[in-house]
Amino acid sequence: MNNKEVKLSVNNLKISFRTDAGKVQAVRDISFDFYKGETLAIVGESGSGKSVTSKAIMGISAVNAIHEGGEILYDGQDLLRIPEEEMHKLRGDKIAMIFQDPLSSLNPIMRIGKQITEAMLLKNKANRKEGRATFNKMLAILSDTMKKATAEKSDSGYSVEQIEQYIKTFDNFNIQAIKLENSYNAARTAAEEMISAIEDLIFLTEKKQKVDVGAKLAFISRKLKEIDDKYFVSGNAEILSKHVLALDEAKRAERNKFKASDFVKKLVGAGATKKEASAETVELLKAIKATAEKLLDEPKYNFFRIGYYVYKKPETDLSRMPADEANEIAIKFLSEDYMDSFLALEKIAIQYSFNKSFENKKIAVTELRNAIDFFKRGDFTAQEADALCKRVNKSVVEAIDKLAVIKDNVAYTFGGALEREIKKYFFYIKNNAKEEARFASQTAKRDALLAKGKTVDWKIVPKSIIEPEKQIESIVSVLSRVLGRFNADIEAAGSFDADKRCVELIDYLKEKASQVVYTLTPRIAKEKAIKLMEEVGIPEARMRYRQYPFEFSGGMRQRIVIAIALSANPDILICDEPTTALDVTIQAQILELINKLKREHNLSIIFITHDLGVVANMADRIAVMYAGKIVEYGTAEEVFYNPQHPYTWALLSSMPDLDTNEKLDSIPGTPPNMIYPPVGDAFAERNKYAMEIDFEMQPPMYEVSPTHYAATWLLHPNAPKVEIPKIITERIKRMKERGGNHGE
Amino acid sequence: MENNHDVLLKVDHLCQYFRLGRKDLKAVDDVSFEIKRGETFGLVGESGCGKTTTGRTIIKLNNITSGNVYFKGQRICAGIRSYKDEISNARRAAAKKIKALRAEKDVDEARKLAISEEIKKINEELGAIVDKNRALIQDARSNSKAVDKQYSESLVEELEAEYAEKISAATGDPEKLKVLNREYKSRIRVAKKSRLITQIQMIFQDPIASLDPRMTVRDIIAEGLVINGVTDKKYINEKVYEILETVGLVREHADRYPHEFSGGQRQRIGIARAVIMRPEMIIADEPISALDVSIQAQVINLLNDLKEQLGLTILFIAHDLSVVKYFSDRIGVMYFGRMVELADSDELFKNPLHPYTRSLLSAIPLPDPVYEKKRVRIHYNPIAEHDYSVNAPSFREITPGHFVYCNDAEEEKYKQMVK
Repeated sequence: MNNKEVKLSVNNLKISFRTDAGKVQAVRDISFDFYKGETLAIVGESGSGKSVTSKAIMGISAVNAIHEGGEILYDGQDLLRIPEEEMHKLRGDKIAMIFQDPLSSLNPIMRIGKQITEAMLLKNKANRKEGRATFNKMLAILSDTMKKATAEKSDSGYSVEQIEQYIKTFDNFNIQAIKLENSYNAARTAAEEMISAIEDLIFLTEKKQKVDVGAKLAFISRKLKEIDDKYFVSGNAEILSKHVLALDEAKRAERNKFKASDFVKKLVGAGATKKEASAETVELLKAIKATAEKLLDEPKYNFFRIGYYVYKKPETDLSRMPADEANEIAIKFLSEDYMDSFLALEKIAIQYSFNKSFENKKIAVTELRNAIDFFKRGDFTAQEADALCKRVNKSVVEAIDKLAVIKDNVAYTFGGALEREIKKYFFYIKNNAKEEARFASQTAKRDALLAKGKTVDWKIVPKSIIEPEKQIESIVSVLSRVLGRFNADIEAAGSFDADKRCVELIDYLKEKASQVVYTLTPRIAKEKAIKLMEEVGIPEARMRYRQYPFEFSGGMRQRIVIAIALSANPDILICDEPTTALDVTIQAQILELINKLKREHNLSIIFITHDLGVVANMADRIAVMYAGKIVEYGTAEEVFYNPQHPYTWALLSSMPDLDTNEKLDSIPGTPPNMIYPPVGDAFAERNKYAMEIDFEMQPPMYEVSPTHYAATWLLHPNAPKVEIPKIITERIKRMKERGGNHGE
Repeated sequence: MENNHDVLLKVDHLCQYFRLGRKDLKAVDDVSFEIKRGETFGLVGESGCGKTTTGRTIIKLNNITSGNVYFKGQRICAGIRSYKDEISNARRAAAKKIKALRAEKDVDEARKLAISEEIKKINEELGAIVDKNRALIQDARSNSKAVDKQYSESLVEELEAEYAEKISAATGDPEKLKVLNREYKSRIRVAKKSRLITQIQMIFQDPIASLDPRMTVRDIIAEGLVINGVTDKKYINEKVYEILETVGLVREHADRYPHEFSGGQRQRIGIARAVIMRPEMIIADEPISALDVSIQAQVINLLNDLKEQLGLTILFIAHDLSVVKYFSDRIGVMYFGRMVELADSDELFKNPLHPYTRSLLSAIPLPDPVYEKKRVRIHYNPIAEHDYSVNAPSFREITPGHFVYCNDAEEEKYKQMVK
C-alpha cells in the first residue's frame, strides 16, 4: 500500500435490517481504506447501501439494523463496538455528517443561530476537557518513559526531579505560548475582516449603491479596536490609536450628515438622500486599510519560542522588537536554557520506547505464530482458547509503541476482535445443529404443502450457518493481520527516524495544548456563526441568524445544516447527498467551500452522491456500490477514463453531458429485492453483457491496476471481449482530446 | 403576431408580484417569450429566480399581476395591474398640474378664464385615459372568461356538425339512432365542460407530494376525465390502461396506491395524469430532479418519446443544465425574476453573452475529473458588472434569435463579442 496515513478502515462490513417481510441485506461484505486528507466518493443508486454504510460509521444505524460482522477502525477503536458514551465524543466533533434531508437535522422550534452556536459552545467545553486529558496523558507517558530510559542508562546524567521539572516547564510555557498566539491570530483575523469590509464599503460607494454607512462604520471601528494585540500591532500603536480617533470622528460626521439630510428630506420631499460615505471618510478608510495591510505583511513571531521567553522572564517585553529580532533572541534563549536538553531527553525516551516495542514485537510475533498453529490444529476447549487469547493480547498490547502519535488501529483493536471471533466459533458450534433442524422442518412443511397441491406464498428463511472450519479461518485472519503488521514494522525498523518522531510528538502536544487554550464565548461564537453563514451563501446572515428553520427555503436549510456540520471542525466529514436539492451556482459554491476546508484542515471526506459531475469535481477515489457491494473501486481518473464494470458504464451513459445528442442509455428495471439477494452478480438481471456465470456465482474483485479494482466476470481471462458502450468511449475520447478544456 | 400559427404559447410582459408586508415581491418581472408548436423550451436559473412561478402563472395557478398570456392566439390570462397603475399615475399627474395652476396668485380675469379652460382640458384628457384603461381592464377580465366559453362553444359546434350528418344518415334505424343519440349527448356534455386551459397540463417536481396517497392510480389518472364530465366507466378504464402502457407501466398497476411504487414509477404516474387529457402543451416543472440517476434517464427518454408520439410542446423547467441542454431546443435564462438571455440551446452554450449566463455555465459539473479539477467558476456580481444609472436596460436581440437583457453600451459590446 502507499504511505498515506489510514484514517478509517472498513473491513468486511455486513449490515442487515430486520423487517416484517424478512431480513434485508443492505450492506454485504464491503471493505475499504480511507486516507487522511482525501475525498472518497461513494456512488450508486438509492438502496445500494451507501447511506447505510455512512450511518454505521456515524453510529446512528436504525434500530432494526443488525451488524452481522466486520469492523470500522478509527483512531485505535472499533466504531461498531465502542459504547454509546465513547461514540458520543466522536460524533459531530471528530466525525460529522451532512444529511440529505435538511429538515430532519434541524430543530423546528429553535432559532437558527442557536442551533449553529449550540454545538460549537458545547463542543468547545468538551474539547478543552478532553484536550487537557490527552495532553496530560501523553506527557505522563513521556515522562514515564524518560524516567525508565534514564534509569537504565545511568550515565545520562538526568535525575528524576530534573525530568519532572522539565515536563512541568514544557506544560506551562506551551500553554503560555498558545495563549499569545491565539490573541495574535484573533487580531489578524479581525484585520482581514476589516479590510474586506472597507473594500466592500468603498466599492458600494463608488458604484453609488445604497449602503448603510453607519452600520458599516460601526463594524469597521469594532474590528479596528479588536486589532489591538501587542504582538500584532508591534511598533505601530500610535498610528492605530490615531486611526481609532479619526474613525470615531468620521462616524459622528456621517451620522450628523444623515440626520441633517433626514431633516432636509422632510422639507423637500423624497429623493434628496442617498446614503453613501463622504469623500473624507473614504480617504480615511483607505489610509486605515493601508495600515492594516502593512501589519498583515509583517513577518510572524514564533510564539513557541517567545512563549518560553515570556514564561521565564515575564518582565521583559519583546513585542516592541521586530519579529525577526525577537525570534532570534527567543530561540537563542530557548535552546540554551531548555530546549536542547529537553529534545535530547525526548529523543532518548522515544528511542527507548521504540526499542522496547521492537523487542516486544519480536516476542509477540512468535506468540502470534504459536497461536495461529494452535487454532489451525483445531480441537480446543473454550478455556484453552480464552487463556491463549488473553496471553496473546497482552503481548500485543505490550508491543504497541505508546509514544507513536499515529495509533496503530489493527493492534489496538486486536484483543476485542480476537475475543469476538472465538466467541462466535463456540456459538456456531452450538447453534449450527439448531439451524439445521429448523431448516429441515421448514423445508418439510413446505414440501408437504406443495405435495398437497397448495400454493405456498412464503419462502424458507435461509439457514444462518457458519462452518467451524470457516470460523477458524477468520480467527486466523485476525491473528495474521496483526502478525503481518508487526512483521512489516520489524522490517521497517531500520528506517526509524527518532528526530522526526520527536518533532511529530511535539507538534501533537502543541495541537492538544491549543485545544485546551481555545475558549469560545457566546459572542465570538455568534460572530463565527454569522461568518460561516455568509460563507455558505446566506444573504443578510445577521438578520437570518434570529430566524426559525421554517422561514428558510429548502436550499437555505441545507446550507444551514452544512454550516452546522462545518462549525465543529471535524476530522472526518461524511456528506450524504448534500447538494442534490440545490441549484448549480449554490452547489458550486458549497463544493468550493468544502474543498477549501479540506485543504485548510487536511480534512478527510466521504462524499455520497449520484451526480457524477459532482463526483468528478470532489473525489480523489471513487467506490461504485450496487446492491450492498462495492463493484468498482479506483482513483477518479481511472473510474472515469477507464471504467470496467457494466454498472459503471450504465451510470455514465445514463447522464447527458453538454455534448450528448443521441438517445440516452437508461438502465432497465429496478434494483433487486435485498430480502432475497441474487445468488450471482446482483446486477446481472439489468445487465446487457451478463453471461451465464453471472447468474450463478458472484464475481471476485479483479485487479485492473494497483489502485483500481472491479468485480465483474468480464475481467476474467476466459471471458469474451466486450466493447465499452459507444456513448462512453466517444465521451472519453472527447474529454481526452480536450484535455480538460470545455467550451473554448 | 397572434395570427402566427407557429407560435403556440406567447408570454407577453408577464409580471407576477406577491404581497410581502407592505412591499411587493417581484417574483416574475416583465418576462416575454414565445414557444413554437412542437418545440421544447427550457427555463433555467437558480432557485428563487421565478422559473416555477412563471410556469404556475401560465397555467393559472397564480393570479397574474400584469401582462398577457396567449395560447393558440387566444388570451388566456391577462393582468390588470399595469392598467390600474396607469390610471392612478395619470390621476396623480393631473392633480399636480391642477394644483399648480390653482396656486397661481394675483391673476387677472383673462388668466382666470384660461386657467379654468386648461383645467377642463386636463380633466378631459384624464377622463380619456381612464376610460381607455377601464375598457382594457374590462376587456382583460371578460377575455380570460370568454376564452373557455368560446372554446367549448367551438367544440360543441364541431360535434353538432359531425353528428348532424351521422344522425341524418341513420334515420330509419331506431336502434342505431338511439346509440348515436346517447353517444352524442355524452360527448356534448364533455364538450360543454371543456376549458381551453386543460390543453396545458403540468408535471410536478415531487412525485410523492403531488399524488394523493388515498387514491388508487386509476382514480388519480382518471380524475381529469371525470372532472371534464366523462361518466362512461368502460371508456375511462380503457383510456387509463392505454395511457399506463404508453408511459411504460402495466394494467395491473391501476388498482395500486402510490406508495407501492418506486420514485421513477411515481413520476410516470404523474406524467400519465398529464398526458391523458391529450394536451397540446406540457409544463414540466423539474420532473427529474427528485429521481435517481438511472431513473432520470428513463424519464427523460419517456418524455422524449411522448413528445414525438403525441406531438407535444414542452416547457421544461429545471436547474440541471446538462439535462436542459440535452432536452431543449431553446433555452431562457432567468435571474431574479427577469429573463436575462434567450437563445437556441447550442447557441447559448457556444456564445453565452450575459455575465450571469456565463457564470451559470461555468458552474456546471461535468463527469470529467481533469476538467473538473481545473474548472474556475466565474462569479457574477450584478453591481460590479452593470452600470444602469445612465441608460436603462431592456431585452434586445443581438443576433437573430439570441436575446439579451442589456443597455446600449452593453449591446455594442455583445455584438462585438459575437463577431
